[in-house]
Amino acid sequence: MNSTRKIIHIDMDAFFAAVEQRDFPQYRNKPIIVGGTPHSRGVVATCSYEARKYGVHSAMPSAHAYRLCPQAIFVKPRFDAYQEASLAIRKIFADYTDLFEPLSLDEAYLDVSNASLHQGSATLIAKAIKAAIKRETQLIASAGVSYNKFLAKIASDINKPDGLYLITPEQGETFVEQLPVEKFHGIGKATSIKMHSLGIKTGKDLKELPLEMLQHYFGKAGLHYYSISRGIDNRPVNNYRIRKSVGVEITFQQDIKARQDVIAQLQDLMEKALSKVTEKQLVAHTLTVKIKYHDFVQITRSRTLPQTITAAAAIPAILEDLLKNTDIGRRNVRLLGITLSSLESKSGQAHFRQMDLFSDY
Amino acid sequence: MKFIINREEILLPLQQIVSVIEKRQTMPILSNVLMVIEGDQLTLTGTDLEIQIIAKINIATADPGSITVPARKFLDICRLLPNGAEIKFELQDDKVKIASSRSRFSLSCLPADNYPEFAESELENHLFINAGKFKKALDKTVFCMANQDVRYYLNGLLLNVSNSKLKLVASDGHRLSIYEDNLDQPTGFESRIILPRKGVLELSRLLDDPEAELKVEFSSNNIRIFIKNLIFSAKLVDSKYPDFGKVFQQEFFNQIHIQKQFLKEALTRVAILANEKFKGVTFDISPGSLKMSTHNPEHDEAEEELVIEYTGEPLTIAFNAQYLLDAVSNLDSELAVLTIASNASSCFIDEPGDCGYKFIVMPMRL
Repeated sequence: MNSTRKIIHIDMDAFFAAVEQRDFPQYRNKPIIVGGTPHSRGVVATCSYEARKYGVHSAMPSAHAYRLCPQAIFVKPRFDAYQEASLAIRKIFADYTDLFEPLSLDEAYLDVSNASLHQGSATLIAKAIKAAIKRETQLIASAGVSYNKFLAKIASDINKPDGLYLITPEQGETFVEQLPVEKFHGIGKATSIKMHSLGIKTGKDLKELPLEMLQHYFGKAGLHYYSISRGIDNRPVNNYRIRKSVGVEITFQQDIKARQDVIAQLQDLMEKALSKVTEKQLVAHTLTVKIKYHDFVQITRSRTLPQTITAAAAIPAILEDLLKNTDIGRRNVRLLGITLSSLESKSGQAHFRQMDLFSDY
Repeated sequence: MKFIINREEILLPLQQIVSVIEKRQTMPILSNVLMVIEGDQLTLTGTDLEIQIIAKINIATADPGSITVPARKFLDICRLLPNGAEIKFELQDDKVKIASSRSRFSLSCLPADNYPEFAESELENHLFINAGKFKKALDKTVFCMANQDVRYYLNGLLLNVSNSKLKLVASDGHRLSIYEDNLDQPTGFESRIILPRKGVLELSRLLDDPEAELKVEFSSNNIRIFIKNLIFSAKLVDSKYPDFGKVFQQEFFNQIHIQKQFLKEALTRVAILANEKFKGVTFDISPGSLKMSTHNPEHDEAEEELVIEYTGEPLTIAFNAQYLLDAVSNLDSELAVLTIASNASSCFIDEPGDCGYKFIVMPMRL
C-alpha cells in the first residue's frame, strides 16, 4: 500500500431512467420517473435529468414528485433490463482490470494501479471505459479518478452527467479542505447536522480537530473522519465476492411443451450448471428450477438436499418431483433455467464424514 | 345452501384442515375447502391430493348444499371474529355471504362438483389404538425421519404391525429411532407400510386428545384414520423400507451411563464452537470419564469433561452433536444409556431397563 494507487469510480448517470429512455424513444428528452406510481406509496428510484430540473430526486415519495412535476412520465422499474445493462458494463470493466468492486447495478470502483493499457494512465482508461460503455450500451457514465476510493467517488460526482474528474495526490488534501462535510461520503444528514452544531462545516474544520475529540463525538467513525479529512483512505478495492449461486438458462427459439422435452432440457442445463460449480471447486446443496411460460409468467421450484448435488441418477427423480406442481406438459414454455446454490467449498467439506446406516453397511 | 354456526365449533376443524392445504397450487380449487351440508351435518374437506382431512360437525340450523371456498381466507375470517361469535353462512348465486354481528363478507367460491375425488383403494386391514399411545410412538420417532432425501422411502415412517405388536421406525440414514408397543387387540395380520412425512406430521397434530380411540384402516396404498369427528387419509409411500437389522447384529462395548441433563448441557455448550454445518464433536471415553471436544474452521476450540459410569476399554468416537441431543432429549429417564458398537460404527441410546424405544446415532469418521 506504499505506492500510490489509481482508483476509478464509475457512476452511471440516471441509470434506470437512462435505460428507459434508450429502450423507449418516446421517453427521450422528457421527464421520466422510474419507481412507484404517483398514487401509490412508492418512491422515486431514479429520474431523468429532465425531471431533476423540477427538483425531483431519488428516494422522494412518488406522490411528492408528481406535485413537483405533474407532466412527468412515471415508469415501473424493469430490473431485468437494468441487470442486463449492468452486466454489460461489468464486462467492460473486466477488459481493463480484474480488480473491480461493484457497489450496486450502476456504480463500481476499479483499481487500475497495475493496468498496462493506455500507458497505465488512469484518466485515459476512465475515458476509454466511458466511451466503451456508450458504444456498447448507449448509456452515459461519469467517472472519478483519484488515489483512493473516497476521493474517486467524490470526483465522479463533480462534472455529472457525462463527467470525468481527476483528483491528483498533490491536490487531495487541499481538495478535501474546501469540501463541505455533507459532501463527504459516509457523512449523512444526521452526522452533518451534528457536525454543523459543533461548528464543523468543511474538511478544513474537520482536519483541525484532534483524533481524540472526533472519537469522543463520533465513536468508531471518528478515526475514519480523521483519515479522510487528510485525504487518506486505505480501503482496498475488493473484488472478493462470495459466490452465492451458479445459474444457467436457455430461451427457446420456439416454445417447447412436451414434458419429456422439458426434462431433457433441464438435465442438459443441470450438467452445465454442475460443471460450472465443479470448475469453481464448489459443491451445491440447493437446486432451483426456473420456468417461464409463453405468456412470460415465471415460476421457480426449489429443493435443498442434505447431501451435495451431483450428476447422480437421482437427479431425474428430483426434477420430476419439482415439476409436480407446475403446468409442464400443459403450457408452452419459453425459458428454462437451473440455479445451484447453498454453495460451499469442496475442501471445507468432509473433515468429518457422517456415517450412514444404510450405505455404510 | 345456508347454515348458522358458532365460531368455536368451526374454528378448530377448519385450522386442522387448512394445515394440509398447500400454499402454492396449480389447481385453484385445491386452495379451497369443500363444504357439504347433508341433513344436520356439515362436512369440511381439505386435500393436497396426497393427504386429505375431513371434519364432520353437527349443526342445528341448515339448508343442504355444497360449495368450495378459499380455505385460508375463510379461516382468517372465522379466526378474527370475536370469541363465541355466531357465524351465518349463505350461498347466494356465485358468492358466499358470511355475516356475524356487524361484520359482512362476500367470498368468491368454486362449485363443489369440480372438487377432486381422493382416490382410495379398498382398505382391508383394520386396527384400533388409543390416541395417547399412538401419539407417544410418533413423538419418539418422527424427529428421525428424513426430509427431502433422494431415498424417498426415508422421507416417511415405517409402520409395522405383526398381529398384536406395533413397531414404528424412522431414519434419515444418520440416525434411527425404533419404537415398539403392544396393541390391545390382536389384528391377525402382518404388514409393513410407509406413511409419508407430511402425513405423519399432520397426523401427529390431530392427536391432541390422548383419550380418543382411533380406528386405523389401511391397504398397501392408502391409510385412513378415524379420530373422533375427523377422518385423516393419506397415500402411502410405494416402496420397501430398507433393511436396518444388521446394525443390531454387532459386538458392543460396555454400557455407558450418563446423567441426561449434564450430557445435554455439555453437548449444547461444546456445539457452540463446532463446525456450523456438521456439528462434529469428539468423545474420548475412558473408565469414569467422558471428554468432549470440538473445533471449527475458525480454529475455535471447546472442551467439556463429564463423570460417567463406564468400565472397559477407552474409546474415541465422534458425532453430530445435534443428532445426539435430539436423541437424548427424547429420553423419558434421567439417566441416558449409551451403547457403542465395538468397531465404533454406531451408538445406541436408550434408558436403563426396558422402555420400548431405542435411538441409534451413526458416528462421524475423520
